[in-house]
Amino acid sequence: MQRRRQLLRHLRRHPLDSALSLAIVLLLAWALWATGQWVVEVADWRVVSANLPLYVSGAYPADQRWRPLVWLGLILTLTLVTLLWPRPRSGQRPGPMRVALPWLWLLMLPLGLAVLAGGAGTGLTAVSSRAWGGLVLTLLLTGASGLLALPLGVILALGRTSDLPVLRHGSRLYIDLMRAVPLIAVLFFGQLLVPLFLPVELEINRVVRAVVAFALFASAYVAEDVRGGLQSIPPTQREAAAALGLNAWQSLQLVVLPQALQIAIPALTNQAIGLLQNTSLMALLGLVELLGISRSLLANPAFIGRHLEVYVWLAALYWLLCTAMALLARRLERSVQPIPRAPGR
Amino acid sequence: MTTALPSPMQPAIQASAICKRYDQGPAALDQVSLEVRLGEVLVVMGPSGSGKSTLIRTFNGLEAIDAGALNVLGIHLDADHDERQIRRIRRRVGMVFQQFNLFPHLSILDNITLAPIRVQKRSRQEAESQARQLLEQMGIAEHIHKRPGQLSGGQQQRVAIARALALKPEVMLFDEPTSALDPERVKEVLDAMRALASQGMTMVVVTHELGFAREVADRVLFMDAGRVVELNDARSFFHHAEEERSRRFLNQMQH
Ligand SMILES: Nc1ncnc2c1ncn2[C@@H]1O[C@H](COP(=O)(O)OP(=O)(O)OP(=O)(O)O)[C@@H](O)[C@H]1O
Ligand SMILES: [Mg+2]
Repeated sequence: MQRRRQLLRHLRRHPLDSALSLAIVLLLAWALWATGQWVVEVADWRVVSANLPLYVSGAYPADQRWRPLVWLGLILTLTLVTLLWPRPRSGQRPGPMRVALPWLWLLMLPLGLAVLAGGAGTGLTAVSSRAWGGLVLTLLLTGASGLLALPLGVILALGRTSDLPVLRHGSRLYIDLMRAVPLIAVLFFGQLLVPLFLPVELEINRVVRAVVAFALFASAYVAEDVRGGLQSIPPTQREAAAALGLNAWQSLQLVVLPQALQIAIPALTNQAIGLLQNTSLMALLGLVELLGISRSLLANPAFIGRHLEVYVWLAALYWLLCTAMALLARRLERSVQPIPRAPGR
Repeated sequence: MTTALPSPMQPAIQASAICKRYDQGPAALDQVSLEVRLGEVLVVMGPSGSGKSTLIRTFNGLEAIDAGALNVLGIHLDADHDERQIRRIRRRVGMVFQQFNLFPHLSILDNITLAPIRVQKRSRQEAESQARQLLEQMGIAEHIHKRPGQLSGGQQQRVAIARALALKPEVMLFDEPTSALDPERVKEVLDAMRALASQGMTMVVVTHELGFAREVADRVLFMDAGRVVELNDARSFFHHAEEERSRRFLNQMQH
């Protein structure tokens, strides 16, 4: 009620402002109506509905599609549990579920790889990674490169803040270099260069090469975020750890890094979301993740000219994924924070 | 741990002509020699910048000395700053800081059990039961699962004392433990220290609390400009200090 009165008073006071507000509202309404009309009446959604399995798992063999579906189902369940499980009340120990969640999340990547690849030891038919695609591949690429980039980034950040000039300058050079080169260039270099560093008989596939290049790129950005966290830990924390007899490694691992990472979580979330979106660049390397599969569908004569439908659908999918990630990250942030800073300082 | 047990005749800490200078500044410690006896409470006083913090931080190797030698519980330390010797000392010497320096990301319980578990390799169960006992003694048992930031300054400082005591130290170093506290919180921390002193703990305490010093100190070290001005037993120091400089300082403190 009161807010409405405030709004009205505000509008009456500034006639030009209210004209502008009205224009914007009208424009939005028109855009919304036009879009709605297009979605319902004009668009032909068969390009999406007929190809749902392809969007989910690409060229994965039809009789094995339950495998990626089970994996996605597990991730969805884990997401919901993470978001909805009650948080421990302040002053109490977190319950066993809260303690288990991070480990379950970590488990998802190797589990996904095992379920999708199958073969020896799993009792499932082996499926070559060439046949992986769609949403499943997008998630695997994001997860794998993120999981690789995080430790790399932490190591770089530690190098960057090290007392040893070699380490410090080396890390800085690497970080500056990676940040100066566009991601797509790094990805192409990865495809061409990574094989050169490996013995001839060890031929690794495109997916792995892309993940490695991607992680090398992302680690430079992760490093800068983690460095920010490291620098905001007062030196007295290290002193207190030292006075308790902890050695340098223990002090880093138990006292400094946990706090630095906690502080870096919001920035790292941004990196993770960027990572997810940037996996679409791998379509240019011929990987059939979400964007790649869409492009190959559009090349199919049956769906000629359905660009708009496909890209709107893709946008919605990416939006959903990013929103879920943002929600999870917020949850993470809240469950480990706040680090209440000591009062009276 | 069986080696280097100090004999009753041996002092807990012995400093021989130690010197320390930060960068190009004036000497923070200038030829300081002293002994801390086993079981005594030594209070360190002096004006701001006189080197009190620097002195007690050399005792557990937080500051390296430039010259001279230290012997802490039979462990030798000199300008070489041998990391292994220092870690041996730190396992037997506890320290409490002005700003508490608790680990804000850990619960009170984890703050206290961290070093016993990681440094002394004791079992979690044993470390936790000891932590409970220590918190009980400090009168803050009900806060065991909270974070440091959720406690008052006085409570935090008592946690910090418990954290240092959890390593079962033979010597405790205090650097102005009550200076960051509200006046009404000072007493609860001093009470905890009093109890510790009455149990016979060897303590070196930098403080401006005259009441505490009068009541608890066995001896008082008075420093100025990095030098020892006077090292006297507490009664003599407060009633008829030998040095003019000490008397002036005491006069200022009382007004
Ligand atoms: N980290 C440092 N870098 C450079 N100079 C320092 C450093 N720490 C202390 N000093 C200098 O060394 C001298 C002794 O400092 P110290 O902190 O030991 O004094 P203090 O007696 O503890 O003083 P206060 O009562 O203010 O705590 C001072 O001149 C101080 O400016
Ligand atoms: Mg000081």
